[in-house]
Amino acid sequence: MNVIKITVAALLMASLASAASFNTQAEKDRKALIAYMEKKFSDPAKNKGSFFPYSTNEELSKRFTKGIKRDAFRLGSYAYDKGGKSQYDEVMEMPPFEDNIDAGKALYEKKFANGKTFKSCFPDPAIAGEYPKFDDKKGTVVTLTLAINECLKANGEKPWKMKKGKMADLEAYFASASTEAGKKVHIVIQSEAAAQAYEAGKKAYYSQRGYLKLSCATCHVQGTGKRVRNEYMSPLLGHTTHFPVYRLKWQGLGTLERRIEGCNKDEGEKPHKPGSPWMSNVLYFMAYMSNEMPVDGPAIRK
Amino acid sequence: MKTYTLTSIILSVGLGLSSLSAATLADAANIDVAKVCDVKANGIEGVLKTAAEYNALAKKLGVEFKRKGVTTSQYITDTEAAVKAKAKEVTLKYTKKGKVKKHTFATTYAAWRACHFAVRAVQQVNEAETTWRLAVPGDGFKF
Ligand code: HEC
Repeated sequence: MNVIKITVAALLMASLASAASFNTQAEKDRKALIAYMEKKFSDPAKNKGSFFPYSTNEELSKRFTKGIKRDAFRLGSYAYDKGGKSQYDEVMEMPPFEDNIDAGKALYEKKFANGKTFKSCFPDPAIAGEYPKFDDKKGTVVTLTLAINECLKANGEKPWKMKKGKMADLEAYFASASTEAGKKVHIVIQSEAAAQAYEAGKKAYYSQRGYLKLSCATCHVQGTGKRVRNEYMSPLLGHTTHFPVYRLKWQGLGTLERRIEGCNKDEGEKPHKPGSPWMSNVLYFMAYMSNEMPVDGPAIRK
Repeated sequence: MKTYTLTSIILSVGLGLSSLSAATLADAANIDVAKVCDVKANGIEGVLKTAAEYNALAKKLGVEFKRKGVTTSQYITDTEAAVKAKAKEVTLKYTKKGKVKKHTFATTYAAWRACHFAVRAVQQVNEAETTWRLAVPGDGFKF
């Protein structure tokens, strides 16, 4: 009897261990990224030698915020750049994306030709932090953008463009509903295949690419706190918490896919298509890095 | 037995042919880009052929270059057209913010560039195999 009990307990523990182990590496990566960013920005002026050799003392001591903790990094460069943050706060007093949220809500409730609505696919709109997911049946990553298009297709509607317009509006509504509900980023790696997609995304993120031979990490991990064309670069940590984003440069909203296309161009490579395996895997990896952070969208960026 | 030999002959001939016409990641590691893309040494057609082979692989790997609005593919096709027309210069058109813009280069330079972009894109994939982890916090990147 005792033997049986022990065996059952051992089996149970083994299965629990393997369920947890699919994200073991991802958890290590996430914690190390948090540790890196928190250490780097614990005291930028004091860390000049180790983290900011090319910055001036003046910049580090006067312009930068100290002691930044994980959740604050969702503000991007405004987490540490005091000047950028005060401009951000000003624009956020009258956010230019309110109409987009309303338009998104209307799209959410609008009937398809078959009489159903998006509710049939997404009963709860507060799901911005749940995506991307790995679909074990399909063996691929499903981003929120792809899930929305799948819903449209399943209901006999035409899929939408993935960078702006209706897609960005509906995602703005989902983001705002998630923010209001106090949701956090919650990305799951539940299987070996999911872990492989995560690893593929991570490798793509850290691989140097394009004419300029830059990786995403050159600018958004090691490069955070440095400037490119007079813009401070934001951290990978928190990159997916607040999309879609209203960019002053765009004079409108754009999805994560749209933003990343711009960064691909900056690297001198042919941009990856929204919905491509490359894009989906990279987004899966990026979103995992923001796990447990509050959803905080839509947001505004220069 | 006979069939077996025949199949293996067909197989090896097939493989031999494909290694002539299709670039591989392994080939890319060992070539000197300055040499294979040298227009004087290889002729402009030869350089464009190398460009086309490596760019096909770069596209398959999802690493094609795009520099200032122009992809490697466009460099190749526009330069090929210029060679056919015996033109000394290539004009590469692209659109930026809805406006048509252009770059003009000597045909030989455009061919060199097409080849350089195509080969380097593939070589970088090889290089990244050993370098990417060096940038991952908690892995190869210590802080
Ligand atoms: C040459 C440097 C550079 C590289 C390389 C680069 N980016 Fe960026 N990225 C920027 C700059 C500059 C911005 C705008 C300022 C900011 O928010 O960081 C930006 C913004 C972003 C944003 C928006 C952040 C926000 O909160 O609005 C995301 C997401 C992003 N990049 C992802 C990527 C990905 C993924 C890659 C790799 C494919 C990449 N970037 C490569 C420079 C770069």
